[in-house]
Amino acid sequence: MEEIVFGIGITALAGALATVAGAAEDTESDIGSQGDPNSQVQLAPQMGYIHRIFNKAIAGEPPAYGLWVALGAGLAWAFMAMHINPILAIVLGSALAVFVQGVYATTAYLGRTASLAKFGQPVYIDILKSMTTVTMAHAFIAIFATVAMCHLMISALGHPFPLPLLGLVWGIALGAAGSATGNPFYGKERQYQEQKFGAGVPISASGNIVRYAEAGQRNSLDNGFFSAKLGGPASGVCFGLIVFFELWRTVVFEPFAAGWGAVVIGVVVILVFAVIDRYIEVWARKTFGPYTVPEEASS
Amino acid sequence: MSALGGPKQTGGIQPPTGTGLVVSIVLIIIALALAFFLVQMAGLIALIGIIIGGVLIGFGVHFVPVGGAPAAMGQAPGIATGVAMLAAGAGLAGLFGGAWAVPLGIPVALAGGAVGGGLLMAITCTMVNVIYVFGMGIPAASGKVAKDPITGDTFPEYKSQGTEGHGLPFISWVGGVIGGALGGFGGTLIYIELLEVYQAQLPALLGATVEQIAPVAVSLAGIFAIGMFLMNAVLAAYNITGTIEGPHDPKFKRFPRAVIAAAAASAVAGIFAIALSGLLGVF
Repeated sequence: MEEIVFGIGITALAGALATVAGAAEDTESDIGSQGDPNSQVQLAPQMGYIHRIFNKAIAGEPPAYGLWVALGAGLAWAFMAMHINPILAIVLGSALAVFVQGVYATTAYLGRTASLAKFGQPVYIDILKSMTTVTMAHAFIAIFATVAMCHLMISALGHPFPLPLLGLVWGIALGAAGSATGNPFYGKERQYQEQKFGAGVPISASGNIVRYAEAGQRNSLDNGFFSAKLGGPASGVCFGLIVFFELWRTVVFEPFAAGWGAVVIGVVVILVFAVIDRYIEVWARKTFGPYTVPEEASS
Repeated sequence: MSALGGPKQTGGIQPPTGTGLVVSIVLIIIALALAFFLVQMAGLIALIGIIIGGVLIGFGVHFVPVGGAPAAMGQAPGIATGVAMLAAGAGLAGLFGGAWAVPLGIPVALAGGAVGGGLLMAITCTMVNVIYVFGMGIPAASGKVAKDPITGDTFPEYKSQGTEGHGLPFISWVGGVIGGALGGFGGTLIYIELLEVYQAQLPALLGATVEQIAPVAVSLAGIFAIGMFLMNAVLAAYNITGTIEGPHDPKFKRFPRAVIAAAAASAVAGIFAIALSGLLGVF
C-alpha cells in the first residue's frame, strides 16, 4: 500500500513537471516560430511583407526536442555516474544542452533569414540578441523539467530504459504534444490575428502575417506573451495529462489481473477522452453554427 | 484541383510496381535466410516479428490525421505537425509503456504498448479540438468527405470559405487513436524481439550473467526499436506526401505500397540489428 501511495505521489510530480515542460516548450517554439507556422514567417517576405519575427525552424519540434532532451539526459547521466548529486547533475546537463539549442537557434535564424535577402528581408542583429536568450531560457525550463521527470521514472518507478534513451522518447513525445496543441493557436490566432475570428485563414491570405504591434513593429516576444495565455498552458495540460495517465494506469493498476488492469484502465481513459472530444465537437457545432460569409465592413 | 494549389493530388489507389514488389520480396527472403544462418530459428522468428512490427507501424501512420502547416492556419483539417513526428511521438510513448510491462509477459507488454500509443493520441487529439473550439472558435469540418462516417455529421456548411476544412472531426480522432495504438504495438513488438535475441547472445559474448548484461540489452533493443520506428514512420510519410485526414481520406488507400516498403526496410534493418552481436564477436 505504501509503495502505491509513493508511486501516486511520484506520478503526480512527474505529471506536474510534464505540464511545466509542455507550457515552456510551446512558448519557446512560438517565440522561435519553430512549429508549422514558420512556413508563413518564411513566406511573408517573399510576398512583400518584411517583418521582425524570429524564425529558428530547421527541424520540427519533436526531433529538435528529442535531441535537446536526450542531450540533457545523457549529460546528466554522465554527471551522475561521476557521483554528482542528481539535482545538480540534471541542472548541469540541461544547461549544457541549452547552449546547443542556442547555437542551433542562432545559425537557424541567420541561415533562414539570409536566404530571404533577395526579397529585401534584413537580418536584425538586435532580434538575434534579444530573442535567442529568451528561447534559451524557455528551453532550459522545458529540458530541465523533462529530464527531471525521466529521472523520476527510472529512480523512483523503476523503468528499465537508461536516462538518455528515456530522454529521447519523452523529448519526441513532448515536441509532438506541444506542436500539435500549440501550433494552431500561434499560427492562426496570432500570425493571422486580423483575419475573422471563428474561421480558418483563407488560402489567399497566406503570407500576410500581422507585422505591427500596439507600438512599433511586432516581434516574437509579443508572440510569446500571446502564446503564454492559452497555447502554452494547453500544450502543458496535454503533455501533463499524457504523462500522468500513462504512469497512473501503470503504477496503480498493473498489480491487478497480472498486468491487464493497466491495459483495461488505459482503454477506459481513451473512451472517456472520446466522450469529451465528441461533446466538444457537438457543442461547437451547436454554439457556433454553420459558416456564414462575413459582411464587408462599412467604414 | 486542390484549393491549396500545386499539383493535383492523386488520391486513388496507387498499387506497388512489379519491380518494387519483386525487389522487396527478394530482400525479405535474403534477410530471413541470413537471420536463420546467423542465429538459427530464434533469429528467424525475431526477424519475422520485426517485419510484422514494422508493417504495423507503416500501416498505422496512415490512420494518423496530420494537417501540417495548413492545419496550423486553420486551412486544412488534422493535427498541425509532421506525419512521421506525430506518429513517432505516439509510438514511442507506447514503447515506453510496453517496455515497462515486459516482465509481465509478452501479451501484456504488447497490449500495454498499444494502449500507451492510443492514449497519447486520444489526449493530443482532444486537446487539438479544445484549442480549435475554445481558442479559435472554429468547429471541425472535413475537406475530403461531406459526412462523418461514424457520427453522420455533415461538413460542407461548416467549412470556412477559401479553406480545405479545419479542426479534427470525430473520424479523424478515431483514426489517430487507431494509428497510435498500431504504432505502439509495432514498436513494442520490435523491442521485445530484439531484447530476446540480445538476452540470449550477449551473456556468452561478454562473459557475463543475464542480469549484468540487462542494461546493455535493454539499451540496444530500445534504441534499435526507436530507430526502426522512425524509419517506418518516415517511409509511410513519403507515401502519404504531406497531409492526410485519417482512414476516410482517399490517400489512405495508398497503404499497400507503404506496407511492402516497410516490410522490406524492416527486414534489412532488422538483420543488421540481429547480427550486431555476431559482428561484435568478430571484432
